[in-house]
Amino acid sequence: MDNNYTFTRKTQYWVMSIAGLGILLLIVGYFINSPSRQELWTNILINNLYFLFIALFGGVFQALHKIAYSGWHTALQRIPEALTSFLPIAAVLMFVLYFGMHDLYHWSHEGLHDPILEGKAAYLNIPFFFIRMTVYFLGWIGLTYLLRKNSLHQDAFADMKYYKRGKFLAAIFMVFFAISSSTMSWDWIMSIDAHWFSTLFGWFVFIGLFEIGIATIILMISFLKKKGYLEFINKEHIHDMGKYLFAFSIFWMYLWFSQYLLIWYSHIPEETAYFAPRLHDFTILFFTVLVLNFVIPFLGLMTRNSKRNLNWLTVMAIVVLCGQWLNIYMLVIPGTIGKTAQIGLVEIGFVCLYLGGFLYVVFSSLAKAPLLSKNDPLLEESFHYET
Amino acid sequence: MYVSPIREPLIRGKKTYNKITQEIAAPIEGKAGKAWYAGIALTGSAVLLGLIMIGYTVWEGIGTWGLNKTIGWGWGITNFVWWIGIGHAGTFISAILLLFRQKWRTSINRSAEAMTLFAVMCAGLFPLIHMGRPLLAFFVFPYPNTRGLWVNFNSPLLWDVFAISTYFTVSLLFWYIGLIPDIGTIRDRMKSKAKKWIYGMLSFGWTGSAKHWQRHESISLILAGLAAPLVLSVHSIVSMDFATSVIPGWHTTIFPPYFVSGAIFSGFAMVLTLLIITRKVLNLENYITVGHVESMNKIIIATGSIVGIAYITELFMAWYSGVEYEQYAFMNRATGPYWWAYWIMMSCNVISPQLLWFKKLRRSLVFSFILSIFINIGMWFERFVIIVTSLHRDYLPSSWEMYKPTIVEVGIFIGTLGLFFTLFLLFIRVFPVIAIAEVKGVLKSSGEKNLNPDKN
Amino acid sequence: MRRYISAYFEDEENLLRAAKDLKNNNISIQDVLSPFPIHGLDPILGFKKSLIPTVGFISGAIGTIVAFGFQTWAFTVDYPLFIGGKPHFSIPSFIPITFELTVLFAAFGMVTAFLVRSKLGPGAKKTIHDERITDDHFVIIVDLEESGSQDGMVEEILLKEMAQEIQVKEIEL
Repeated sequence: MDNNYTFTRKTQYWVMSIAGLGILLLIVGYFINSPSRQELWTNILINNLYFLFIALFGGVFQALHKIAYSGWHTALQRIPEALTSFLPIAAVLMFVLYFGMHDLYHWSHEGLHDPILEGKAAYLNIPFFFIRMTVYFLGWIGLTYLLRKNSLHQDAFADMKYYKRGKFLAAIFMVFFAISSSTMSWDWIMSIDAHWFSTLFGWFVFIGLFEIGIATIILMISFLKKKGYLEFINKEHIHDMGKYLFAFSIFWMYLWFSQYLLIWYSHIPEETAYFAPRLHDFTILFFTVLVLNFVIPFLGLMTRNSKRNLNWLTVMAIVVLCGQWLNIYMLVIPGTIGKTAQIGLVEIGFVCLYLGGFLYVVFSSLAKAPLLSKNDPLLEESFHYET
Repeated sequence: MYVSPIREPLIRGKKTYNKITQEIAAPIEGKAGKAWYAGIALTGSAVLLGLIMIGYTVWEGIGTWGLNKTIGWGWGITNFVWWIGIGHAGTFISAILLLFRQKWRTSINRSAEAMTLFAVMCAGLFPLIHMGRPLLAFFVFPYPNTRGLWVNFNSPLLWDVFAISTYFTVSLLFWYIGLIPDIGTIRDRMKSKAKKWIYGMLSFGWTGSAKHWQRHESISLILAGLAAPLVLSVHSIVSMDFATSVIPGWHTTIFPPYFVSGAIFSGFAMVLTLLIITRKVLNLENYITVGHVESMNKIIIATGSIVGIAYITELFMAWYSGVEYEQYAFMNRATGPYWWAYWIMMSCNVISPQLLWFKKLRRSLVFSFILSIFINIGMWFERFVIIVTSLHRDYLPSSWEMYKPTIVEVGIFIGTLGLFFTLFLLFIRVFPVIAIAEVKGVLKSSGEKNLNPDKN
Repeated sequence: MRRYISAYFEDEENLLRAAKDLKNNNISIQDVLSPFPIHGLDPILGFKKSLIPTVGFISGAIGTIVAFGFQTWAFTVDYPLFIGGKPHFSIPSFIPITFELTVLFAAFGMVTAFLVRSKLGPGAKKTIHDERITDDHFVIIVDLEESGSQDGMVEEILLKEMAQEIQVKEIEL
């Protein structure tokens, strides 16, 4: 089958319908539920983060495997590249939060006379917040753009210099990402509960980002294969993606538990005040997040065969994607809306709207280059591989 | 199994299966040289010193150490965490690199796993001898007793007991299962009847049958799958000895993964220290190549950078939290009476590994060796800084104190260094230092006949 | 009377091809002995997947139940104490030990299964077919029919792949 993805009219129609459904649900939800301004902005933040994380993972996937000299992933390359195409839009959406700062971030209000917040004011102030945001996006968009450009050049010319440049860019991206992923989660998520802090927070959010990304790539592979593309992706590639989904769901649980156990054990009120509302006001959701993100993937992906079955893997990936969305919801909601929050038409509407938009951008990008990159010196390994 | 021609060969010198067997079995079959005897004489005397100091400690009591009410944990626990951390590299190489299909692990995993066992043995000594009544050490195990008592399952110190016992046992099983086929190889080469019988016993009757190999591969993969989270859990539980407390500098949520990264960091440094010497002395340079050293250095720079990011995160969060005790704890580390320990730690752990961004240095054996020593020194100081500086000045200024180790504590530490190197020296004469069967398995795909030796 | 033929190869790829040929001719292979595992051999020899992973899972599950159950019983039923303000049924505290014992039980279960099923152990009675197997010889042992009708075909297949020291052996049963 031809290795150039065509973003057909039919798919476009479907994607736009999802977005349209989203708008419809939003309108209906707006009239039925009368969401407050804060609820609207919170939904925007949650979905901004969720889809930004998917896009960022595109860069992480490429960079991590390049610096590890991995060969098996080279056939998959174009999918994470397409994911990063969403980054500029993610940037715009994040900057739009400027208009919702007061509803989202308590510290952005003036005249609070809160000594704790005053102590942090050198970091948590609107100008610095947006300067940092600018730096993050300049780095992420810039580096992923260069990685993509390099990959396309490599298609055209079989020169080792592109391979070397790819590794160099990958290394810079990883360093930049390692620092910015932590600081962005402190800025955009942790500061919502501005009296609270946790040194593990940045790494915890990162692993969630990793899981969301892997699950998305699995869905993309599934979608493309059903349409007849990606014949060169075999059971071994699928197995590796399954291993990632399995292993990182365990790693996510480990980090979640480490944070929880240490705060529970020491029982210091400044820290436990974070978990108290989550455990008591959102009990069902609290445990649902654990079941979706750990219990189901752990039991469901334990056997070797389960990781090699693309249909089963797709189901597991969808479970994880739901679970991770709820995880971000749980990170954001208690500090903003509080216990009156619910998951209703407005919430689902926003997700559909974002999903439609995201898919439109990513599929368009996927159609712009052949699905199989050329001339990567490790590409041959991706074709002949057995475990 | 296709391997791209741009990859560096893992086995140089155009070896055959037979040559591999010969060259790796050579140290076991031949006589020990003067260097080996000199080495073991040195390490053996260190062990003797350690035994004397431990005996003195058990006889006279913990008062022979420099601990006091404020600083209840000093060199003893620093050494404990340092040794456990070093042990982690072995399991990382055997388990996690196996799961990531990194073929270059095949020539280093056997000695790295052996190193793990020896390091854990050295580590395990400290919880034992630092007890007030070490002869009642068995109290830590939950056995039915006339007092009707159970152990405190809520205590991280007890979680340690289970974690380290499990870690030692599983590592031993994993190492030994891997060794069985290689012991078979040695058994079949032995000429003396006595040695043949001993290795015969140890080889468990290994025949090389295909069904046995199938089970062997299956169990190796699953043990790897178990050992991977185990390695994460063990050092996380060790970190919880500190993180479950309430004192600044100890109670912080990043400890579990940060300790694990630090452990892998120091462990790989120790693997380099051992193997750079071993490969030269035992003529195994074609198996433990410069490429292997470079790969290990890459892991070192990755984990070292993670440790550096963790330091910066802690510093930032201390400021961000607004908690004055937290802020003081870190100010004190950098500028207080133990500032010299802090800056040794920072320069050895954060600054020096960053030099590995330069390829020339990554591939330099001399630089790698020197760096590995600095990293191990730096990681020792990291544990010292965390333990002692956080204890010596916490919430109540009237309790502030200083700590100095006594000669007894220093002697015990030297003793464990002696034990570690003695065990390693014995190991290289008794068992094959490189996993013979595994290396043969990658010869076709990654040996020099297949790949261009000049590409790197 | 059981008859078999044994031969060795210097290269595992030859053995692999010979084994495939033999299998295509419905000749049963008794065993293959090698210095390292040969990839692709298991399906040719008709090996079913090893049950060791299942043993591991079950042993691990037993470990989980034992560890969590025991801690719960000791701290809620047998001798509950107030320690550091923690509840008696302190689930987060129980997790680390539960995890460790799960891994320990799984490892022990699998190693035991491996050694017992393969009949390996200190003092196991095994005949070492050829000492060079653990070095660089790949040995194949093929079952032959009593009548001797397959002998020629088997020898031909083996010789085609450069087998050496082809020997026909008979054992009285």
